[in-house]
Amino acid sequence: MKDDTHKRISLRRSTVMCCAATLTLLAAWCPAEDLRSVSLGELPQSWHDDRARDLALTGLRGHRVVLTMAYAACHRICPAAMDEFKRMQRVADARGETVDFVIVGYDPKNDNPAVWHQYRLSRGLNRDNWHFLSGSQTATEQLAQQLGFPFWKYDEHVMHESRAVLFDTSGVQRTVLGSRNPRWSDAL
Amino acid sequence: MLNKLLIPARAIALGVVLSTASLPAAADSVSDAKLEEMQKKLDQSMKMIEALAARVKELEGHASSGPVAAGAAPGPDSQRLQAVEQSVAQIETANATRQSDDSGLPIHGFADVNVGNHNLYFPYAKGTNVGSLDFYLAPKLGDHVVSLAELIFETGPDGHVGTDLERFQIGYQFNDQATVWVGRFHTPYGYVNTALHHGVWLADALRRPKFINFEDKGGVMPSHTVGVWVTGAQREGNGRFLYDFYAGNGQQIQGGTLDMQTGGNAHGAAIAGTRLSYQFTGGAVDGLMVGVNGFTDKVNDDNAINPALVRLNMVGAYAVYDTDIWEHIIEAYSFHDKNLNGAPGTHRSEAWFAQFGYRASWGVPYIRYERAMLDQTDPYFNEQTFGASYYRSALGVRFDINAKSSIKFEVAHTRNTDDRPGTDYRPSDAEIGLPQQYNEILAQYAVRF
Repeated sequence: MKDDTHKRISLRRSTVMCCAATLTLLAAWCPAEDLRSVSLGELPQSWHDDRARDLALTGLRGHRVVLTMAYAACHRICPAAMDEFKRMQRVADARGETVDFVIVGYDPKNDNPAVWHQYRLSRGLNRDNWHFLSGSQTATEQLAQQLGFPFWKYDEHVMHESRAVLFDTSGVQRTVLGSRNPRWSDAL
Repeated sequence: MLNKLLIPARAIALGVVLSTASLPAAADSVSDAKLEEMQKKLDQSMKMIEALAARVKELEGHASSGPVAAGAAPGPDSQRLQAVEQSVAQIETANATRQSDDSGLPIHGFADVNVGNHNLYFPYAKGTNVGSLDFYLAPKLGDHVVSLAELIFETGPDGHVGTDLERFQIGYQFNDQATVWVGRFHTPYGYVNTALHHGVWLADALRRPKFINFEDKGGVMPSHTVGVWVTGAQREGNGRFLYDFYAGNGQQIQGGTLDMQTGGNAHGAAIAGTRLSYQFTGGAVDGLMVGVNGFTDKVNDDNAINPALVRLNMVGAYAVYDTDIWEHIIEAYSFHDKNLNGAPGTHRSEAWFAQFGYRASWGVPYIRYERAMLDQTDPYFNEQTFGASYYRSALGVRFDINAKSSIKFEVAHTRNTDDRPGTDYRPSDAEIGLPQQYNEILAQYAVRF
């Protein structure tokens, strides 16, 4: 009888430990996303555009803003993001709305304003409401962390995901767009 | 904003109250006068907090009284308040970022599994094979001190899983124009060897060209060097000029495989080389990079009495056209080797490949042709298990399932053009089971994490 009780307790313990281990693994596997809305004013403000002019993100309040992060040598994810931005631009044009498109560089060491200027020219992204920004390494990492753009560098390559954040006219984050959104322009 | 201020204010007040409440425990040593004095201070603090809260409420009322007309300048108090609010938020995040820098080292990497009628590196094996599990670590050690390590678990030619510290480098970055690395690095020649590292997810093609594959995967060139490497880039005109200079331990052929002598070599033999490149970043040829490279390497073998084998001299050139739409790579190498053991003599060999890829929205189809004409009287190639001349034509495609995983397919035809009997150093190709020619159908599932 005693043996049965011990076995039952031992079984219960094992089950609890297994559940705990599974939950721990699940928690580690699925990192919690910070769902807190961030406003443009809370982000770092010291950026240079592709003409080396200072630009503060708060200066874009008054229009809706779509922000993504990219690196100029990316030929896989970033070109697709630019295509989505172009589609959003067409939707905004059709409505007669001015939307600011902000592209912040992941890799300020390699992607300075001159590189972004060339990027803009070579891809025909000439509209004034498209802002290609580079900043300090600290500001870049801070903005990426605040807006949930995880990235890491593999030598000269930046490992990142397809993601954009839409801010309303008062600069408050409204929507996060990613690979789960087949058409980003639907969010406008 | 009001709530943001009230919460810490309440916390302070609560703290003070709790501190005060705990005082009776030591009441014997505290006089009534002191208690009264503290009570007064607490009252004053509460009044001050209430006054501050009222002021903040008043300021917020001004700021949000009706929609601000476009272009209307907010009041000076409101501007100050906003500026303070931004600063506080940024300081909070900066602190959080700083703390997370010291909280541990993130582990990233790559992994792949493969299915095919042949193993993609060792054609005598067939079926499903585990490729590699690649852990990449790049700890931040300050503004100028840089480091990286790439630790890999991979299946070797014998089918067993082995561990290899494929890259381990510690360096000092003086500026963008100059970084000095010491350790084990990918030898700077051509494009593929330093642009597409061990993580196969990164490359559009399913595998590297055979002759420039890694030493333990059938490659015949010294893809790793253990030594010192100076590298940098300088923006010049409409592009960048890139340079590499390196020197390190001379390689040794051990059991038919080239070894980079990670622990140092016994005979002081050395490799030294350079690569000079220019990358166009504008104009009609935006995305084009061209370069030349060369090295000289005193290669030993595992003969205990007279290990000096050959003076390996290589010169090469490469061109890459890498844009959002195209990925074309051409690399060519010429070897002029000199015997250091036995009869004097020189040997000449060539190897090259050309790959053309198209980056469509649905995937990346590519075609590749590779050719190696390796002199079998040259002990450098003759002693290597996979040192036979060959040609290979391949057609493949890459599909991205999401941003972190891809699936690739390749069909290829390979023909070895040398008849290689066994030697004192290695068995014959037939004994190893290397087919003279073979067709492959390969699939690869590759991820990054």
